[in-house]
Amino acid sequence: MRVLVVHAHPGPGSFSAAVRGAAVAGLESAGHDVEVVDLYAERFQAAMTRAERQAYLTDRPIVSPDVAHHAVLVERAEALVFVYPTWWAGLPAIMKGWLDRVLVQGVAFELDPVTSRVKPRLGHVRRIVGITTYGSSPWYVHLVGDGGRRTLARTLRLVCRRRSRPVWLALYRMDGATDADRRAFLLRVRRRMARL
Amino acid sequence: MRTGAPSCCACAVAWPGCEPAVQRRRGTGREVPEVRLLVVYGHPVPGSFSGAVLDRLVTVLAAQGHEVDLIDLYADGFDPVLVEGERQAVFEAGSADPVVATHVRRLLAAQGLVLVYPTWWGGLPAIVKGWVDRVFVLGAVYDLVPGRNRVTGRLRNIGRLAAVTSHGSPKLVNTLQGEPGKLLVTRQLRALCHWRCRTTWLAHYGDDRAGDEERRAFLDKVETITRRW
Repeated sequence: MRVLVVHAHPGPGSFSAAVRGAAVAGLESAGHDVEVVDLYAERFQAAMTRAERQAYLTDRPIVSPDVAHHAVLVERAEALVFVYPTWWAGLPAIMKGWLDRVLVQGVAFELDPVTSRVKPRLGHVRRIVGITTYGSSPWYVHLVGDGGRRTLARTLRLVCRRRSRPVWLALYRMDGATDADRRAFLLRVRRRMARL
Repeated sequence: MRTGAPSCCACAVAWPGCEPAVQRRRGTGREVPEVRLLVVYGHPVPGSFSGAVLDRLVTVLAAQGHEVDLIDLYADGFDPVLVEGERQAVFEAGSADPVVATHVRRLLAAQGLVLVYPTWWGGLPAIVKGWVDRVFVLGAVYDLVPGRNRVTGRLRNIGRLAAVTSHGSPKLVNTLQGEPGKLLVTRQLRALCHWRCRTTWLAHYGDDRAGDEERRAFLDKVETITRRW
């Protein structure tokens, strides 16, 4: 399977980077073709620009070359893996901006000009995987809505292949996690990705 | 039982550092004291529907005698991307990024917070999410108590919280998506505010298919509801 891993964390030596490493190692050990997009390392621009918004409903919504490159990667992918730390119950802004700017009309969906209905265009994506760390306990994350999971496993999934079951791997109570907890999580990520 | 200590509202407890933020009004028809509202706006195109919503909102609020402090994220060129170390650092006005420090000060000086944005992929546009990521700082907006495994809000000054947004897709689709943007505002951010904070969710669904009439009706709805603040 061709897998696109999208990663967002500002620290190259962070635990999130280690999680990404475990995910990639697991995927490669299973023989998948892995492509990694490191949004912070690429200095990806998060905010959709005025020109992009003005072109959003036209036939050519992609105006900048970095977005065009990412759109090609998305069109080739059969699985999307997102690795990020949860901030304020959701995706870091840079990753939300990646969704806003790359997954536009013609890449993720088509907008019917007459009925304005959204037609999914990511039918080639068979799997969506979210791998994240939460500072809070599971009950608190559930209480405040778990926005990141809703964005990826529900909102994004609506434009992917039907019956694609999302995979969600999370480490809760990150601030109080011991080294053993972290190592166990890395192992869990690696194993789960090896049998994706 | 009320003591001589300043109290924020009808409750008997005087919260330390609590400003008299929450005014009660519902159904009494009393004069509402003016409050200072921080309005955060994020849409890249001037003349957009979100812009029209903002204009109407600000006009009505100003006419009501409220003090409106507007942050236009795109016009200000706000950088929404958190840098390394910023998340863990305890906020100090002197050492933080000056733009962030100013926004934190404005947030702490307000009695209400209003977010005006278009909903993209179910939630806040990156620039608005990034504003939350960077401005909601440890030590000023929230605290972490060891062993508690959740944030402890410090925004006791915020007695009103509102989001005014428009969704391209209809309500049904948004329900299937789970409304991550709505939950971020009405639950996660709400949890940081004053315990009696009033929360308003004003959303225009199905904007892709909406005509001028529906949009005008939404603007009128915004006006009707904000008049009661």
